[in-house]
Amino acid sequence: MLTLHGLTIKRFHDGLLNKEFSAFEITKEFFDYIQDKDKEIGAYLSLHKDEALSEASKVDVAFAEGENLPALAGVPLAIKDNILIEGLPATAASKMLKNYKAAYDATVISKLKSTQAVFLGKTNMDEFAMGSSTENSAFQKTKNPHDLERVPGGSSGGSAAAVAAHMAIAALGTDTGGSIREPASFCGVVGLKPTYGAVSRYGAIAMASSLDQIGPITKTVEDAAILFDIIRGKDDFDATSADHDYGEKLPDPELRDIKKLTIGLPKEYFIGGLAKEVQDGVSHAINSLKSLGLNFKEISLPHTKYALSAYYIIMPAEVSSNLARYDGIRYSRNVNSKTLSEIYFKNKGQGFGEEVRRRIMLGAYVLSSGYYDAYYAKAQKVRRLIKEDFDNVFNEVDVILGPVTPTPAFKIGEKTKDPLSMYLSDIFTIPVNLAGLPAISIPVRTIPHTPKRASPSGFSPDPKPSLPIGFQLIGRPFHEADILGIGQYYERITT
Amino acid sequence: MPEITKKEIKHLAELARLEISERDEEKLEHDLGEILNHFNELKEVDTENTKPLTGGTVLINSIRDDDPDPSFAAYSAEVSATKAGKALGGKASDTGKGKDQFPESDAGYLKVPSVFS
Repeated sequence: MLTLHGLTIKRFHDGLLNKEFSAFEITKEFFDYIQDKDKEIGAYLSLHKDEALSEASKVDVAFAEGENLPALAGVPLAIKDNILIEGLPATAASKMLKNYKAAYDATVISKLKSTQAVFLGKTNMDEFAMGSSTENSAFQKTKNPHDLERVPGGSSGGSAAAVAAHMAIAALGTDTGGSIREPASFCGVVGLKPTYGAVSRYGAIAMASSLDQIGPITKTVEDAAILFDIIRGKDDFDATSADHDYGEKLPDPELRDIKKLTIGLPKEYFIGGLAKEVQDGVSHAINSLKSLGLNFKEISLPHTKYALSAYYIIMPAEVSSNLARYDGIRYSRNVNSKTLSEIYFKNKGQGFGEEVRRRIMLGAYVLSSGYYDAYYAKAQKVRRLIKEDFDNVFNEVDVILGPVTPTPAFKIGEKTKDPLSMYLSDIFTIPVNLAGLPAISIPVRTIPHTPKRASPSGFSPDPKPSLPIGFQLIGRPFHEADILGIGQYYERITT
Repeated sequence: MPEITKKEIKHLAELARLEISERDEEKLEHDLGEILNHFNELKEVDTENTKPLTGGTVLINSIRDDDPDPSFAAYSAEVSATKAGKALGGKASDTGKGKDQFPESDAGYLKVPSVFS
């Protein structure tokens, strides 16, 4: 048995070049492992073994013929099910798109295909990326690989769980209010939400277009840098994508550049309500970074507490508009009716799950006549104040450090009854999306924790079960190099 | 005053073309009420001299050349050979892929329910 556990993008590439294994062997090994392991985790909605094995073989043939292999050649990846791969399902975990097959590749997928990456399958998520626990999937629950009674986070919970459970070397997710960083933090893996406009959104099923970004979920910060470097860039098919020259410093940065950076600690991110494990974890990370010689400074982001309200007005407003396209005429028809209006009402009513319906209603409300100024226009003004908070602070510091979530992974079912409590899981990740900044979630260390009963499979593979904690680094727009750089050095001194 | 009434819920569902059950109405009245109540905190924020931030991008007038492009995947030789394809300079795309996305079609036509009945 080949070992999948130790494989990172870097390690896989080296192993391939040193002929320790072939891409085909590893891909096959992954499918064998997934077949068993995913019964317990439920990370994948669909697997695409034939396509993946055929792509992996092509990499082996190219290598045998003496071609140079790009860094991602043959790397088995998991892709969130709201990102289109031509010919494969893209359900966004909704009944509405149950039978939908993508007609084209998302730009990130075209870029990955051109580097000969291999796609193992499509991963579970909250329906249309709406949720913080992946419990809103219309199809299945995904479990946290560190404790099967707990959620993997969301909405990119399947992608984070797949990487954490070694069922993929890396994955792609999407982040609208924390949907890459929160599950990465809950599952103990790395998640990068790029600057708004750094990565093309073409071919990502839209949720809230002024906030959505695609980004990598990986085992190491170095891998996140490698993957981000491939998927980023201006794209004619996304008018909000920007042309930015990152230079060559994303993977493998210089320590002397990193040491020059000053890190800000916002007092509003270290308030009551923060679980002790999280507080301790983040302090631990700060101490490690101090030992690297980085400077810290206390800062203030005074409008932080209003971000949640602003977000839960702006995002549903965009949702109610973006999801109007699922009218039962195009994409899918679950219910047939005599009249056109009945088709609309019935398909939307039965095709969308509870959280999606709730957000459509909320969005319709805040945009409706008489409430527009009080809610939507007000939220947009507060959004500017939140962005200005960051602009001001970035005159004093280069990077901001804080927690990713107020608590570690919560229990399955714990927050499903009370939407507001679920929304509060995102208080530290949301401001970043409103301001369009890059941010990364990096695992701190494991905190001792004992689950009440053993896993259903009858044994616990980890003798000391523990819940991961993440810390978050936030950078200036298009300064992914700063947060990825600090993260890569953090990794070197802690592992 | 309740934040939202059942009457408003019904009206919104009508606007959103969303069928909701009576049980949903109850739940929505409660959940939306609670969420809207939370939004009241925004009243504390002084936005008198603040302009709305209307989107995520810093780009202004982001436009591209208005050239025809294949709408789906690769150019198709078969489709390019048709009259419509030739009109596009022989660079037409395989619209079949777009058509295949549609729930129902017949002999190349997209089937929709009758509008007038």
